[in-house]
Amino acid sequence: MKFQLQRQAIFATGVMVLGVVISLLATPSLRDGLALAVLTLLALSGGAVLLSKRTRVTHPVLARAATSTSAVSVSLVATFFFSSTTNFNLAIGAAMAVTLVGLSFLTGVSGQVSLGNGAFMGVGAFAMAIWSNHHATTPIVVTLLISIVAGAIVGLLLGLPATRLRGPYLAGMTLAFAVAFPAILTYFNSWTGGDGGLQLPSAANPPHWLSALFVHGSSSLTSSTLWLTDITIVATGVAFFFMANLFTSRVGRAMRLVRDNEVAAELVGVNLNRTRVLAFVISSAYAALGGALWTFLNNSVTPATYSFALSIVILSVIVIGGIGTIPGALIGGLVYAYSTNVISWITNQTGLNPQGNFASQLNGIIFGGLLIVTMMLAPRGVAGVYYTLRHRRATRGDVVSPTKETYAEA
Amino acid sequence: MDVFLTSRIVSDVLGGVTNGVIYGLVALSLVLVWRSTGILNFAQGAMPMMATYVGMVAFGHFFGYWISVVIAVLVGFLIGAGTERVLVRPLYGKPEINPVVVMVGFLTVLEAVAAAIWSSTPRSLTTPFSPIDFRLGAKPFALSAFSVYQIVTAIVVMVLVAVLFRFTNLGLQLRASALAPEVSRLLGVRVNRMLTLGWTLSTGVGTVTAILVSSNFFTGLTPQVMDGIFAFGFIAAAVGGLDSPVGSIIAGVVIGIILQFVGDYVNSNAIILVALAILIVSLMARPNGVFSAVKTRRV
Repeated sequence: MKFQLQRQAIFATGVMVLGVVISLLATPSLRDGLALAVLTLLALSGGAVLLSKRTRVTHPVLARAATSTSAVSVSLVATFFFSSTTNFNLAIGAAMAVTLVGLSFLTGVSGQVSLGNGAFMGVGAFAMAIWSNHHATTPIVVTLLISIVAGAIVGLLLGLPATRLRGPYLAGMTLAFAVAFPAILTYFNSWTGGDGGLQLPSAANPPHWLSALFVHGSSSLTSSTLWLTDITIVATGVAFFFMANLFTSRVGRAMRLVRDNEVAAELVGVNLNRTRVLAFVISSAYAALGGALWTFLNNSVTPATYSFALSIVILSVIVIGGIGTIPGALIGGLVYAYSTNVISWITNQTGLNPQGNFASQLNGIIFGGLLIVTMMLAPRGVAGVYYTLRHRRATRGDVVSPTKETYAEA
Repeated sequence: MDVFLTSRIVSDVLGGVTNGVIYGLVALSLVLVWRSTGILNFAQGAMPMMATYVGMVAFGHFFGYWISVVIAVLVGFLIGAGTERVLVRPLYGKPEINPVVVMVGFLTVLEAVAAAIWSSTPRSLTTPFSPIDFRLGAKPFALSAFSVYQIVTAIVVMVLVAVLFRFTNLGLQLRASALAPEVSRLLGVRVNRMLTLGWTLSTGVGTVTAILVSSNFFTGLTPQVMDGIFAFGFIAAAVGGLDSPVGSIIAGVVIGIILQFVGDYVNSNAIILVALAILIVSLMARPNGVFSAVKTRRV
């Protein structure tokens, strides 16, 4: 019975993906509303099939795979309809969401917080740029993996001493790392290119057997942006799939136990130090992947991007989205992608002088203020508010639904 | 003798002590808050920075140096007390990341507000002391009137704090409410008031530090002036022990001297790398701080 349900779900997902791929192939030449309509219909029916009682995937890993696949396919197709500015914004936000989900994981399952994720993004970003400058022919997947490893190694170095202690040592140490990061880059300026940063050797382009698909509009810049965006979305989907499994895996449960009750954790044989360090290393590796994707998107990297201010912005958007939750990271990524637009809109609406002191500091005032307000009123952010509402609605009737996974009990 | 006093090693030690007392003061202010409320105050650099702007820049137009200093420290006291009352009090008993996040938010807001009002361009504060090194014969001796003033002020502040905690009734109450809040409350100590006082004192100490830092002829006062200093101060506090005031001051001075040698003999960009290395090694060797008396927490 269970197996049959799974097979049905796999079939439904397969049909949906096939439909999406077909309409995706048809889109560049047609470029009309019909493809979009078919697509929307397919996505909706796929979602309905996935969610309906009869075909709901019972195995959680398969369910997550189905969710990630459909979300990624829909986003991929959507990128063919968006302008390249929107695509670029979305891709920047998606890469940021990868960083955010790492931080969310760290806090949600181990109860610690890092103030240096901007610097870890920088580690990944520079690892990617340095490696591609020395080995230009390495496939993008391998380069991304190398950046992830670089982030994990630096995370291990900082995490080993700091996670042995309870209390704010990890936060303080990562803050020191974030403040120090620009000076560290300058110290190694023969590798990192000093203040100017590094350029990637060549612009990323789709492989020739796919290039017909990525002719979007006329300029080559646009098709390149489309390709970059789609690669970033796929990478984000993969990263989120792994993270969703990690949250509920044996390791994730062990981490949550360490957070909530150290004595109990040790009694059931969880190694406290190793678990805490592992959580931090994973979060650093995710931040490094986010940074590497940024380098890939911008085709260059500059040290000024990875200042202490970036680490604070990262903390702000994940707290607003919902720290300790997976949807919170997506919300945070979107908030980050559109924060510049929103802030300049506010500047325009209020008639502030855009070059004035106040307008240039509006970013810090708004993000800092939101950090304080969110932590005071709704410590789990937007996603937390949603979970609370859903839980309330679910428990209001007679039927008590099984407890949904709510990741942070902040 | 003159040759020895003007040698590179003596210069580095003196320069290191001059910087080190600053790290020690920041560490001391962190320890004051940590011991009383169990919170690592990430806005410990930004709150004094704000007080310095208000006292030295806003009021500095109308008053002389010393009156401005007094005003700045008073403003610092007010900011510290107000922060504890409004922002920190709702956070007691919450998960430990909540105060971290709130104080980081406060740090961001303070730096942005200061930059919005006074712009980010460095301001030089006029001091009554010359930053030019004394001379011994023909060679410069690595101390100036200003660095003597800085060291003396730091020692005076440290001694005042020590006297307050060791020899006064108020200090006894402060220590008691940090160690055993419930018992102290039963014995009639106003624990909440003591917590506020801890934050007040800490911000006052921080304001003196911020004035000294921003009076430095070479850096001046900027909204971000305390970011780097805070990092060094945290490293000193963590190395010396977050619950040990004396230890963190000693650690601050020692780290200041080591970093001065690193900056002189290696490269000024290596300073922060070495500081991080010191922090990592010391936390590996003595997790609770070199000077901490408390045993490692066992589960």
